[in-house]
Amino acid sequence: MAEKQKKDWSRIKYPDSYISLGIWISILLFLTYSIEYLEIPLDRLVGMLQRMGYTLANRYYPPDLEYIADLDYMEYVLETIQMAYLGSLFGLIITLPLGWLGAFNLTPSRRFVYPVARLVTMGFRAVHEMIWAIIFVSILGFGMLPGVLALTFFCAGFASKLLAEEIESVDMGPVEAMRATGANLFQVMIFGVLPQVRVALTGIAIYTWDVAFRAATVVGFFGAGGMGWYLKRNVLQIETERVSAILVSIIILVLISEFFSAIARERVMKMK
Amino acid sequence: MKSEEIIIYRQKKRLRNIFIFLILLIMVIWSVDVTIVEDTDWERMGSLSDVLSSAGRFIGIDFSLFPDLIVPSIETFMISILGTFVGVIICIPATWFGAKNITPFKPLTYPLGRLLMTLSRSIHEIVWALFFVAVFGLGALSGICAIAVRSVGFIAKMSSEAIEDIDVGPIEAIRSAGGNGFQILIYAIIPQVIPQILGVIIFEWEINIRRSAILGLVGAGGLGLVFFRQMNTFNFHGVTSVIISILGIIVIGEFVSHKMRKRVI
Amino acid sequence: MSVLQVNDLHASYSSSGSEILKGISFDVAENDFVAIIGPSGAGKSTLIRCINRLVEPSSGSIIFKGQNITNMSKSELRRVRRDIGMIFQEFNLINRMSVMDNLLSGRLGYIGNIRTLFKAYPRKDIDRAIELLERVGLSDHIDKRADELSGGQRQRVGIARALMQEPELLLLDEPTSSLDPKISREIMTLVKEMAFELRVPCLCNIHDVQLATEFCNKIVGIQEGTKMFEGDPNNLSEEKLNEIYAMEVL
Repeated sequence: MAEKQKKDWSRIKYPDSYISLGIWISILLFLTYSIEYLEIPLDRLVGMLQRMGYTLANRYYPPDLEYIADLDYMEYVLETIQMAYLGSLFGLIITLPLGWLGAFNLTPSRRFVYPVARLVTMGFRAVHEMIWAIIFVSILGFGMLPGVLALTFFCAGFASKLLAEEIESVDMGPVEAMRATGANLFQVMIFGVLPQVRVALTGIAIYTWDVAFRAATVVGFFGAGGMGWYLKRNVLQIETERVSAILVSIIILVLISEFFSAIARERVMKMK
Repeated sequence: MKSEEIIIYRQKKRLRNIFIFLILLIMVIWSVDVTIVEDTDWERMGSLSDVLSSAGRFIGIDFSLFPDLIVPSIETFMISILGTFVGVIICIPATWFGAKNITPFKPLTYPLGRLLMTLSRSIHEIVWALFFVAVFGLGALSGICAIAVRSVGFIAKMSSEAIEDIDVGPIEAIRSAGGNGFQILIYAIIPQVIPQILGVIIFEWEINIRRSAILGLVGAGGLGLVFFRQMNTFNFHGVTSVIISILGIIVIGEFVSHKMRKRVI
Repeated sequence: MSVLQVNDLHASYSSSGSEILKGISFDVAENDFVAIIGPSGAGKSTLIRCINRLVEPSSGSIIFKGQNITNMSKSELRRVRRDIGMIFQEFNLINRMSVMDNLLSGRLGYIGNIRTLFKAYPRKDIDRAIELLERVGLSDHIDKRADELSGGQRQRVGIARALMQEPELLLLDEPTSSLDPKISREIMTLVKEMAFELRVPCLCNIHDVQLATEFCNKIVGIQEGTKMFEGDPNNLSEEKLNEIYAMEVL
């Protein structure tokens, strides 16, 4: 008769559990070290939160709405909107070729053009839109031109990446069919690829507008035109009630823009 | 006869499209004129060669600056990590409220959750940073808070959508064994959405590295402050050095996130 | 005394308001293995889910172990659910968790939130899980992720999980519909054997009439929400079967 062995089971597994534990402890240590390194005053945190409530209630409220309800400010708001759509428009114009060149399946040259296009796209994306704005302001002076340029490069950066990914996921069947009829590269793109990515491209365009508009409200802070300039002036002068009024106007505008974007996006969904 | 009608129809359509295109083109040209052409101080800008030489000031690297960039780079990196971490914690209630299937009181908490997400996304991180600097003062803490609050929008939105898409089978299984709401959450809901949520967090962290680098422009710690100083002292080669550092930590970030993704998904 | 008594049970879709169950009554005694058969849409799945109130009945009563569970509060209901095990058509395992953790999840009704968070089950639960795993033949898979198993293996985990609850009634919702015929037979055999060993009555919603007549000692036939037959499988004549299914049975 066989001996009945008592089977046992433990949740702790060697060596996996120890490795996991080690990883968790290192993460915890890193976080603690970071807090030390950055000199974050944990002990004063609660007091600070209380101060935050006090500051909000007394100094930032009520927002000075009269200040923003004037024509000059409205001009700046209009500027902001114009910068945003010019920036996204030009950005998208650049995106069309750049995204295509950066798509592995349809780029004209995989060894040279593709890596360069990808590198350029990454470069545009990696630089924050505010840095673009500051650089252009220092080259071109204050005004809306640097703002539009900054937004253009910024939009081209992330929209190209999105477009490249879309193109890469396209069904190659129609493309091959077009090639087989002897169409040139341009025709292949228009008739083979464009119909497939058209819907996604509209989505990308809407998203680009959203992001561009948000950024446009702030580039003025660094001199690149738009309502951000008002923000900077009042922050420097510590006119907190005016600052909160400007912030309120920014929030409302962005919410309105999001509202229209959502509608546009639903209509695009229906097109699918 | 039919084909004639079709030809006329298509000609009309083409004309209409060209007309619309021309109108849009005119609108764009008008906008460009009103905004850029009128607004720009063309005299101060000078000729094209002046502009090019202005741009050329940035070409060149100030190598002596690099040792001083190590600490701010580490700071930026840490701010992005801590900021994302705190953001995830704040996301927990936002996600809970913003997911149609687990929100506690749908008419009230669901719109509230969605509103929080939209608010977080709609306000630029610089604006958040300005706000937190006004409250907490200069330093990394303001940056961390700005990053945290800004991240909530994306992470909570994606997470709540993942939760709304889960399979109800495991939920039924735990319920029928007598499990309570908490147990359903831990056993039936979280295991299903964890891979997606972790992917979203890693993605947002990468973006946050970019953001952390510039928050210093308004006093919230990291490389941004160095950038600001270099610009103010007109050390354009130094500015280029800072930009290179920023690109450097972004590359490190992409590498780390790539590794993490492999382990998680 | 019967373990389960269902009296004049009615249930409807909340949205459209049309009734799915139009007054079903039957009982399940201690040693029964009852099969519910009927065409698709007859309400079999709804009926099973009403027993443990995954679906709320609109009227009627369900008496389990002498208690009327139709009116119970949520917390009382949770306690009763511990005594009713359920096996699902789609297995409903926690895919990313190990087989062991899936089994232990059967005991969730008995542990508090802190223990749940740390997965700290009492020793006796772990021992019982090891025994059950051996009984269903999956001891070698104890630490595998549930989604690494085949369909038949997953259902065996489902059976073991349900039995971890030490239930007084086992509900089965089309346990074999996602499995091929040979595995289906193995699963039904396993359930019947273990139910007999542990003295647990079973109420099984099943599509395959053949399996039903073979494994069950009592058949309840349903069509469009009404009971058409209740009794011994041997008494289930071909005409009666045709009546229930309103079509030729293969």
